[in-house]
Amino acid sequence: MIGLVSYLTFFLTMAGIMAIITLGLNLHWGYTGLFNGGVVAFFGAGAYGTMILGGPSQPDQFGGFELPYLVALGGGVVIAGALAWVVGLLTLRLRHDYLAISTFGIAVALEAVARNAQWLTGGARGLRGFPRPFEDQIDNNFLFGVVFLLIVLTVLGLIWLSIERLVNSPFGRALRAIREDEVAARALGKNPVRLRLWSLVIGAAIMGAGGGLYVSYTAFVSPQDLLPILTFQIWAMLIVGGAGNNRGAVLGAVLIWGVWTLSGFALTRLAPASMQIDAGSIQYILIGTLIVCMLIWRPEGLLPEKIKKSQPMTARKAASNSTRE
Amino acid sequence: MNRKMLYLAGASMMALGLQAGTAAAQDCSVNVGTIYPTSVDWGRPIAETALWVGEMINEAGGVDGCEVNMILRDDQNDARVGVDAARALVDIDQVELLLGTVSSGISIPILTSVTAPAGVMQMSCCSSSSRLTEIAESGEARGLWFRTFATADVQAAVAAMLARDAGIQNITVVYKNDDWGQDIGRLAAEAFEAVGIEVLDQIAITDAQPSYRAEATQALRGQPESLYLALYPVEGISFVREWIGLGGTTTMIGANSLKSDDFRTTVGLENLAEFTGTDTSSPRVQSAADFIEAYTANFDAAPSGPGLANSFDAAAIALLAYHAAGRDASGEEIAAQVSRVTDPAGEPIPATVEGFASAMEILSGGGSVSYQGATGAVTFDANGNVSAPAVSWGFDDSGVVEQSYISLEEVAAFMASTN
Repeated sequence: MIGLVSYLTFFLTMAGIMAIITLGLNLHWGYTGLFNGGVVAFFGAGAYGTMILGGPSQPDQFGGFELPYLVALGGGVVIAGALAWVVGLLTLRLRHDYLAISTFGIAVALEAVARNAQWLTGGARGLRGFPRPFEDQIDNNFLFGVVFLLIVLTVLGLIWLSIERLVNSPFGRALRAIREDEVAARALGKNPVRLRLWSLVIGAAIMGAGGGLYVSYTAFVSPQDLLPILTFQIWAMLIVGGAGNNRGAVLGAVLIWGVWTLSGFALTRLAPASMQIDAGSIQYILIGTLIVCMLIWRPEGLLPEKIKKSQPMTARKAASNSTRE
Repeated sequence: MNRKMLYLAGASMMALGLQAGTAAAQDCSVNVGTIYPTSVDWGRPIAETALWVGEMINEAGGVDGCEVNMILRDDQNDARVGVDAARALVDIDQVELLLGTVSSGISIPILTSVTAPAGVMQMSCCSSSSRLTEIAESGEARGLWFRTFATADVQAAVAAMLARDAGIQNITVVYKNDDWGQDIGRLAAEAFEAVGIEVLDQIAITDAQPSYRAEATQALRGQPESLYLALYPVEGISFVREWIGLGGTTTMIGANSLKSDDFRTTVGLENLAEFTGTDTSSPRVQSAADFIEAYTANFDAAPSGPGLANSFDAAAIALLAYHAAGRDASGEEIAAQVSRVTDPAGEPIPATVEGFASAMEILSGGGSVSYQGATGAVTFDANGNVSAPAVSWGFDDSGVVEQSYISLEEVAAFMASTN
């Protein structure tokens, strides 16, 4: 029984990290309409950033500053945000599929950098030995899992609250206005370029937090963690959960990650012995089928966006603000 | 939220129910976790080989009289999926022994975040990264980590030995741009320089490129009199064809990854007369031939593809050690028994069902055996790395021919002299 609880703790930890990244993508796509095809680049920037700042020093290797955990994690977040700022300046003139292709290309380029810049990233061998938070203080493997889950849930909660505040503020309404009709938003005095850049940077920083948490759990990062499959997974989570709704994003993350992993687990129990060797391929088919079915039957996601009527007070304030600009 | 809870509750009920079901079906069984990339074309036969060893051990009487229940999970070549599968195997199936996986980028997070903290032994067929040696040296792996893939340093050293004996003055190193290739490329360049051969250039080959003309041109710039190739057949074929097309030298030394019929036939024997390969295992031992025969009988095809012999040995050694440690052993206890299975002074046993049965008898009696596996008589060093003798080989009409045998002592002496 303790084993099951231990596994569920781990499952929720991973799902929580996925949910954080999905919340970041929700800010991009759900609220601002930015088609970010390079989710994994920002995840990777956070993961490598955290590892380089907080990891142990190694011969012939840049980094290994052994900074305290929160500083390293924060540094990873800042690095992911900074990457997004540069990427944003270069690409945000692009719209829709063009933006998706260019961000996807940036993610692939980043993977190539991680694979080749051995002085910085350790090359294909990756970087190892990140001191897992509180592991030294906690002897018990199970207890460590619980503490780590609490860390992830705390970060998830903080990000959730911040995004909720953000998207319900005048800033958030301006983002949605850009998403719906950029020309109209501009006519109202909003600066779409600046707002889109901010949205990209904040969402990417959130993805970076996911990467930082991931690396502090596995204590290892390599170019293998930067494969485009992560981008695809996060998109599936957001679409299935419901873009434009943070509850949907989190639900989608837990559900898709659950299907992704538990389908493999279930097949070891349910598939006959002679088919065990094919279970891996069957699992792919199951995952793909589920996502396709969701897209057919609930294209708006399980928990679609609810457009709230804004409170008259804030609306009035926003209106006066925008006329002032 | 309700949906999520329902889902999790449903999954856990199912897990519990099914677990009770399998336990009741037989007297006793031990769960052994196996994680390999079964959904990847070359990963599938590696997994099949490991499962086959489980069947053979069961035929020979099982681990300490208990049936081995090999639970296979796919890692999808994705670290997050692999780590999750490992957690499920360790937490829910309560395995004390985990076989896997291929990619170092997955084996390492499994080792550092799942098996080592939980005290579960992990043995891999094919992970090659030198990071794993570092992890073992640092004590992070707690002696629970083993791999039957010989590390790159032996092959790199043997390549330097061959180059020195052939009187080569300068060389260009061409390596596959992954963890294995970067490691072996760097080690080979160091070894060449240690024996006084000038390394003109080191060129990375990233796989799945449409053409390697740029890389071949770059290699040609230094006019090297020889080439060192740490490539897989696919890139190896494209690169070498470009290289020879541009008039490069045919004096080449290659790693064991090029031991492939495709490479021989596609590049053409006329271009491979001066090609020498290195390998760590010793195909001279009878057990290696036995493995090929048994594999062919079982799968109706000769073993082809990387890692099969290594996968076989990983599963066999780990399961025999499990038997020696007893059915209720912890991962640490199993790991402690590995040296009794691979004791050079022990009774030599072949990798057959009868061999396994006699090995189990000796191990139960407190003796030790020397397992003669598909890659020869394997022994592990303190970091769980294989130390193995080496061979050099070349190509002829019939396929691969062995050219010379370099004993464990010679390799060790040479490596000590260059360090």
